[in-house]
Amino acid sequence: MSINLQRAHRERAAMKPRAVESVAGTTMKTVAGAMIVLGAIAFVLALIRGGATIAWEAYLVNLLFFLGVAQGAVVASASFYLTQAKWGGSTPYRLGEAFAPFLWVGFFLFFGLYFGRSLIFPWVTHPIAQKAAWLNTPFLFARDGIGLGVMAAASFAFIRVSRSDGARAWTIATDEIELPPHSIRVFAPLVAVLFAAVYSLIAFDLVMSLAPVWRSTLFGWYFFAGCFWSGLTAMALTAAVLRGRLGENNLFTNPTVMHDFGKMVFAFSVFWIYLLFAQYIVIWYGDLPVETFFIVHRVHHMPWSPLSVACLVLIWLIPFTALMSVRAKKTPVILGTVAGLGLAGMWLERYVLVVPSLSLDAIPFGATQFLISIGFLGAFLISAVPGLNRVAQAATSGEPVGDEAE
Amino acid sequence: MSTIAIISSFADETQCVQAVEELRAAQVGDFNTFSPIPSHKIEHAIGRSKSPVRWLVLAGGISGVLTGLAITIGTTYEWRLNAGGRPLLSWPPFIVICFELMVLLGGIFGFFGVLMLSGVPTTTMAPGYDGRFGEDRFGIVVRCDEAEAARVESMLKESGAEEVVREDEAQPR
Amino acid sequence: MAAAPKIPVEPSYRDIDRSVLRVMEPAGLAYWAWIGFCFTLVAIAAGFWLRQIYSGLGVTGLRQPVMWAIYITNFVFWVGIAHSGTLISAILFLFRTKWRTAVYRAAETMTIFAVATAGLFPLIHLGRVWFFYWLLPYPNQRYLQPDFRSPLVWDAFAVSTYLTISALFWTMGLIPDVANAREAATGWRKKFYTALAMGWQGTDRQWRHYSMAYLLMAGLATPLVLSVHSVVSWDFAMAINPGWHSTIFAPYFVAGAIFSGVAMVITLLIPMRKLLGIEDLLTEWHFDNLAKVVLLTSLVVSYAYITEAFMTWYTGDPIEQMTFHMRYFGPWGWMYWVMVLCNCVIPLLLFSPRIRVNMRALWIITIFVNIGMWFERFVIIAGSLTANIEPSQWAGYRPSITEIMITVGSFAWFVGLFSLFAKFLPIISMTELKEGIVWLRKALKMDRVKAA
Repeated sequence: MSINLQRAHRERAAMKPRAVESVAGTTMKTVAGAMIVLGAIAFVLALIRGGATIAWEAYLVNLLFFLGVAQGAVVASASFYLTQAKWGGSTPYRLGEAFAPFLWVGFFLFFGLYFGRSLIFPWVTHPIAQKAAWLNTPFLFARDGIGLGVMAAASFAFIRVSRSDGARAWTIATDEIELPPHSIRVFAPLVAVLFAAVYSLIAFDLVMSLAPVWRSTLFGWYFFAGCFWSGLTAMALTAAVLRGRLGENNLFTNPTVMHDFGKMVFAFSVFWIYLLFAQYIVIWYGDLPVETFFIVHRVHHMPWSPLSVACLVLIWLIPFTALMSVRAKKTPVILGTVAGLGLAGMWLERYVLVVPSLSLDAIPFGATQFLISIGFLGAFLISAVPGLNRVAQAATSGEPVGDEAE
Repeated sequence: MSTIAIISSFADETQCVQAVEELRAAQVGDFNTFSPIPSHKIEHAIGRSKSPVRWLVLAGGISGVLTGLAITIGTTYEWRLNAGGRPLLSWPPFIVICFELMVLLGGIFGFFGVLMLSGVPTTTMAPGYDGRFGEDRFGIVVRCDEAEAARVESMLKESGAEEVVREDEAQPR
Repeated sequence: MAAAPKIPVEPSYRDIDRSVLRVMEPAGLAYWAWIGFCFTLVAIAAGFWLRQIYSGLGVTGLRQPVMWAIYITNFVFWVGIAHSGTLISAILFLFRTKWRTAVYRAAETMTIFAVATAGLFPLIHLGRVWFFYWLLPYPNQRYLQPDFRSPLVWDAFAVSTYLTISALFWTMGLIPDVANAREAATGWRKKFYTALAMGWQGTDRQWRHYSMAYLLMAGLATPLVLSVHSVVSWDFAMAINPGWHSTIFAPYFVAGAIFSGVAMVITLLIPMRKLLGIEDLLTEWHFDNLAKVVLLTSLVVSYAYITEAFMTWYTGDPIEQMTFHMRYFGPWGWMYWVMVLCNCVIPLLLFSPRIRVNMRALWIITIFVNIGMWFERFVIIAGSLTANIEPSQWAGYRPSITEIMITVGSFAWFVGLFSLFAKFLPIISMTELKEGIVWLRKALKMDRVKAA
């Protein structure tokens, strides 16, 4: 080994980070708790004072968005095993699993929709005879409830084996080609396959059925690809935020690791627009009224048209242009900003998918919907506390990373 | 004083990288390397700026999009055909054409850009080229003043060169 | 051919060169007989095509309303086969996948020849093939131009771009390898390789531009590969024909393309590694990973079948339901179920790690996948046309001998070209294998440990 390389190794060894045990604690819990309370108050007030539709719309939008982020991130962790990713040691895995407790929260909140069903699902008040076999209340809540429950249970089973010593040792054995431990090889594909199935179902039932005549075969795939991207983006945002809070030489100060996060945000944003375009062009070309109305309402109808454009800008145009260069991907401020805007864009996209089906002529966004969203954000953050501490520990453990540290 | 070329070969990439680093630090003459693989370590040690071929690809991509716009819009105005009531300028299909042409011209610019920038096709081999450098040896050719030759040679040998010869001694293969 | 000397567990650069260059030594009689056989079939097919050009499309089985059948099926099938090459050479390159280095050259070569085969079919399908250039915009006296709103025009652009870019990308990868082959070769081969290598020497300057351009070309080829099969799928999905008009078509066709393509790579590589004596360079580890790609894309394809069936039922649209009813239970229903068996059920065997590295089992499974994917295209393309919106128009379709022989000829053409390549140019990228030699060493060690 050359003198210079030896020097470089010594320097790297000296650059070990100081271990951080906890990054989120009482303060975060208090703030998040306050947010939940605010959201709950706003929700109850809206129900009492006759704004129930508005409240349930916000409830559904936020449920879809935050469940998507939490589940997408877990699936990201699973797919890292499937693709044998070792570019960030064990930290990206912990990061993907950090938001998972919200899966159970979301599972219980899903059943809350039962009480707002007549305001959310048009087919509850005006049943459609042809589709009654599929679009009826008991069957919908049974299948989606079971789906979300199984999904959450599988995710937790996966996370449990993923946190084991064997799996962790595998993630940091950067120069081995052996497959991950057997239990991982069972649960990681299971989580990925279930994700595609359950989240397609959610997309069909909780979004598509709000406009019961509309259909698009790609919609399920499009929806869960969006969830996956929002999960990745939340991970990149967390990485960019934690970078400054974990002291010197934590994993997120490594430009290659940030580069990889940036690449993923970039790549799956392009994939998202591909899936959007693939639906758009088929519907545009076919020009069948039963398909086009859904898009016309959102793209050509005021007041929704600017919001649809904003989704495109936030989810695709900004990531695509801003993250094109390598330097931008490696700059946490840029990556973090793009990821933050991207998450806002994904929330907006869920909003534009859901709400025009229920209130076409005006955007019902106001204090009520804002506070309910804040409440959901609080629930999301409070469930992420233990996971974030695990991320902090992994990122400051000084474990080896990456196969190509150039 | 005349300039001479010193040709060295290494069996190991790391040693070659080290020699490059030392040659750079000592600032003697100019040198180039031969390697059987695109070595990022050597590239890093030599420390040149990024290849300008990326600007060529970008230029190709942009000109592809412009060509796409020009032919779709241009020909539509030349042959105004009503296709099922769709607007004359229908952007969703035009995006497809622009995209394909962007990739086409970007790729063509990139490919011929590499050829141009790396000086191929050519029939003259760089001084010191040896068939082994395509197989399993890493080579460094240093051009320096005759006076410095001894220093360079010892530097190369210390880094682990298997073979260090001056150009006039080298056997053409 | 004499048995290849076993490569040491810790191969050096030279061992890799020796194994790969050995393949390119002059071939025996059996090889030339095989080439002769392939190109005889091609000549027969060409004869049938000439006859078709002379007498018109009436010699085919194409009758209203089934005007797209075997020719278009073959077109889609071969474009699909092409996709795995770009997946392995470009997409997996961007993902820094370690196992791609040994298989990518063979896969990408397959891409070139498969696109070249596919490109013939729209031409064969033309009644007046000598007017094929009417698809391209060019200045003319009558101001006639192609309609850029037609998916067939997009197809012309997409497929020719795909052929050009893959050929350039492939040539680029070949240059350093051919330069290496040039040093060892003698006689006319030396001249041949010297000309192809264009004076490549592997200087730092050359590599610097090369690496950057390779990365960028991979970056361009990645969305290209998605776009090409999407455009092919839109040839169908743009029409409001039930069975064709479906938003999922683009990504579903892309997944199907990669599925059939990787299966074809495996189908070709398994006998090839044996015949050419490169078993040590294509290890179990490589096949394990290839098989996983087949499994993944098989699941995606199954997802698309289920979604389509579900959505047809969900819409409650009687016309669409009738088309799908005919697809599942009509006179050609058996084809659909063959396709389900081959594409969805049999590949599930690949969940077993033992089957993934059992060459014989893997080979048979991939053959089934190839059959299944051919049927899939036929069921979608011709099947959807037989039972259309107007029951009064319903009709069957029976392929003629012309169509069958041209199909057989296309397989011979593809396999023949591939076999020619395998003997004259490096079928495994020496440069890239050397770059990732660490992983080859690990893979060999793993194989030997398992064997012991």
